[in-house]
Amino acid sequence: MTWLRNIANWLDSRLGLWAPVRDMATHRVPRRSASFFYVFGSAAFVLFILQIVTGILLAFVYVPTGADAWNSLQALNHGVWLGWFLRAIHGWGADFMVAVVLLHLCQVFLFGAYKFPRELNWVIGVCLLLLTLGMAFTGQVLRFDQDAYWGLGIGASIVGRVPFVGAVLVHLLLGGPMINGATLSRFFTLHVFVIPALLIGLVGLHLLLVLKLGINEWPMPGRVVRRETYLREYEEELRKDSIPFVPDAIWKDMVFAAAIVLAVMACAALFGPFGPRGIPDPTIIQTVPQPDFFFLWLYALLALLPPQMETPVLLVAPIFVIGAFLLLPFVAGEGEKSWRRRPVAVLSMLLIAVSLASLTSLANRTPWSPVMDAWSGDPVPRPDLQGRSPLELRGALVFQDEQCRNCHSLGGVGGQRGPALDAVATTLTQDQLIRQVLQGGGNMPAYGKNLTPPEVTALVAFLETLHPVGELPARNASQKEMENAAPLPPQSVR
Amino acid sequence: MLLAVMMLASTVACNNLPGRPAPVSDVLRPSQQTDFAALYAQNCAACHGPRGEGGAAIALAGPLYLATVSDQVLRSVTTDGIPGTPMPAFGQSAGGTLTVQQIAALVDGIRKWVPAGAAEGVRPPSYVAGVPGEAKRGAIVYQSFCSSCHGPGGDGGKAAGSIVDPSFLALVSDQGLRTTVIFGRPELGAPDWRGDVPGHPMTDQEVSDVVAWMAAHRVPYPGQPYPSGAGKSLQGGER
Repeated sequence: MTWLRNIANWLDSRLGLWAPVRDMATHRVPRRSASFFYVFGSAAFVLFILQIVTGILLAFVYVPTGADAWNSLQALNHGVWLGWFLRAIHGWGADFMVAVVLLHLCQVFLFGAYKFPRELNWVIGVCLLLLTLGMAFTGQVLRFDQDAYWGLGIGASIVGRVPFVGAVLVHLLLGGPMINGATLSRFFTLHVFVIPALLIGLVGLHLLLVLKLGINEWPMPGRVVRRETYLREYEEELRKDSIPFVPDAIWKDMVFAAAIVLAVMACAALFGPFGPRGIPDPTIIQTVPQPDFFFLWLYALLALLPPQMETPVLLVAPIFVIGAFLLLPFVAGEGEKSWRRRPVAVLSMLLIAVSLASLTSLANRTPWSPVMDAWSGDPVPRPDLQGRSPLELRGALVFQDEQCRNCHSLGGVGGQRGPALDAVATTLTQDQLIRQVLQGGGNMPAYGKNLTPPEVTALVAFLETLHPVGELPARNASQKEMENAAPLPPQSVR
Repeated sequence: MLLAVMMLASTVACNNLPGRPAPVSDVLRPSQQTDFAALYAQNCAACHGPRGEGGAAIALAGPLYLATVSDQVLRSVTTDGIPGTPMPAFGQSAGGTLTVQQIAALVDGIRKWVPAGAAEGVRPPSYVAGVPGEAKRGAIVYQSFCSSCHGPGGDGGKAAGSIVDPSFLALVSDQGLRTTVIFGRPELGAPDWRGDVPGHPMTDQEVSDVVAWMAAHRVPYPGQPYPSGAGKSLQGGER
């Protein structure tokens, strides 16, 4: 193997790379920082490499034109050997990358790593997060199916709300006033050239700063950061209790990154690629477009916001949120690093995490949205039909045919926009049911003009049977009196 | 050699991974979908039951029903619906969403539920009324075949509800009444034309007559909320 060594020596005597690379690799890190809590950044980096490699492979086949993009993805899914697996890795890699970048952010925040002297690296990190989300959105658009099409439409209408320059911005984003042939080229350029270039540059800077300023030490309660003394204290710790990054610390990064990559591959193999779902044709109205996982919270938020709050939240809130992130290290650049002594920080993070999780889970159920084919696709539960009169059975048909089911569930199936009706007869009397059907109320439209009197009668007769076994239906206060008066001799009724 | 074996093994393994997209694409245009199971589940299952076993509306998978009803009837009812009843029009020609091919696929699929010859040897009354019915005779037919469950006047008995309720009659066609009289609702416990009086199946004429008798109970303004019951007894109580 001496010839190999000779070649390496020949190269190194000209390039001179060995010494700096060795110094970089063996730089010393505080012993306690070589922890499994400090592996998210490197895992995000490995995922980024994975995305670059799979992305380049995909670009060999993908055709970035409105007419052919969808077909080329179908070709990848079905025509190219393991093309579907490649797409699946790229898609799941994106989901994992967003998740790992967010974990990295949380860890850095909780461990106070953004404080002096690492403020700039936090700012770069925030930019990297935004760019990662930019990659996620543009990538979703490149899938160019119905989800992508409508996601793009929503993105454009958000941009269009910007005062004065909205129209110009939409034009810039879409390459025209509406989604057209140039739109996909634009997003392809952003996804493949512009954002990756920025990411590569900023990731380099991010790593350089980690090397220059050193990795954050393990935060100890009571060990307060002060601008005057911090650098000296850090030097001191490195001298007293540190290990070289390679080989003593790096193995944890490698183990975690390998586990993440294996998880991506497992998800890709088990769950397959994302879409492409339906053809991006706006004339197909039988579609329920949804954004990908990382934007589901936003989808839920936009659905739930009252209309007058939409523009402020869409245009003003991001400025404040991003501004708060960027200003954080300058406002709280000193002081305690340990999360044990930073209750406000911990609580705000929990609040954000719980909000995002709740919104995401809501977006998976979309209770605000009618289920448009429930009326013809979701059968009336069998127990609700057993032992019913012909009129009540007709009522069940009216219930389905008038699409009540699209908003009201029976047996847990159907829309969630209105209340479930499994026990409606216990809360509304016959008169109240008739009134509600005819006049609507609450969120419900009035059906008085859409139903004939027999339809209303049949429907209400059916609704009156909807009460749990052994529980009496609701009744008018006067009903009892009527029943007491009921067995009148027939001649008195005239 | 080793490489070749690995390639082969990975090809076989990868082709069977659960994540591999199914060859049948689920991304067709809705109007191109001609898979019976998908079409039926989306358009028919809610009322006729997930496997045609009947729901709020009649069973489509009954062997006798399918042996009697013609393709033409199934097609035209699916396409145009039955006006005045909750059966909507599904055909594009009538404002629905299904194409002619899709409706043909539905009729084909419904037929395939029941193997040919399943109703061999049984002769139900004809699907369409062959002879005109007469309400007067129907009243007598009703008493002998139906009153044990639906009550002496037809307005409900111990085992079954009213079949002369004006709102019910307003939401069902004469053909619908006839179909139910002939084939019953076995899934809900209502017998077919043979089971009303054991040993005495109803004749074509008797079915026509009893349908005429029910139809004679239709009223001009059905479905008024207090047609007779509540309002009257309240008045009576006040007097």
